Amino acid sequence: MSASTALTTHAPAIAEGHRAGISNPILGMILFICSEVMFFAGLFAAYFNVRATAPVWPPSAAEVGEHLAERFDLHAEPWLAAILTIVLVSSSFTCQLGVWAIRRDDRRGLIRAIGVTMVMGIAFLIGQVYDYSQLGFGLSDGTFGTTFFTLTGFHGAHVFGGVIMLGVVLFRAMGGQFSARHHDAVEAASIYWHFVDVVWICLFSLLYIIPTK
Amino acid sequence: MRVKHPRNALVVGGVFVLVAIIYYLVSHDAGGTTTLAALGIAMGLAAYALVVGTSDDL
Repeated sequence: MSASTALTTHAPAIAEGHRAGISNPILGMILFICSEVMFFAGLFAAYFNVRATAPVWPPSAAEVGEHLAERFDLHAEPWLAAILTIVLVSSSFTCQLGVWAIRRDDRRGLIRAIGVTMVMGIAFLIGQVYDYSQLGFGLSDGTFGTTFFTLTGFHGAHVFGGVIMLGVVLFRAMGGQFSARHHDAVEAASIYWHFVDVVWICLFSLLYIIPTK
Repeated sequence: MRVKHPRNALVVGGVFVLVAIIYYLVSHDAGGTTTLAALGIAMGLAAYALVVGTSDDL
């Protein structure tokens, strides 16, 4: 995983019994991600709580009406979300390719990889907006609508933040600001992107794969 | 005080993951289990990063 790779890369002296420490941007990003883990844990816990206390999940036609009950059945049409998952997971690989490129001092490779990652991130966001427009239910449509849009919406906001982060990295890379020795911002942005990817895999599994009750 | 093996810092988080497992076995409450397990992961990662990130030169 990128976080551990970054830690070991920046602490080569551990094996020799001396620690040089890791850079502030990477340490800051790891601690920020720790807080993000708790943030998403709260949202997931809320979802589990609502799901556990509901007699039927997603809510049945008797509770919310035939139209909404049909729309809440996300398991019936997971294909768009599955495609978005493939796009986001692939973007994690391209992001890591960028990190490996700059570690070799390959600046063109970094620009290419981060550019592709950014395009895939934007494609994910466009796909999510399209998915929202096709769902047929909204934020105010009961506990299911509220938890669904809160979870996926906050994740989308994080992807948006990640795209901006990658944009800054790309802009700086095009200005020749990174090298094999100085590329902490690339490592930090990569760690964040992998985290956002892992959260989506959990979300996709929870909302589209794990059986309903 | 210097921690000789930084990986030992992960034990901090492991304790909470263990508590999460016990809690789930007792209550079958996925919500509480999620927060406890995430607390363990976050604390373990933070402790590990802080120990590894601390320079001996300080």
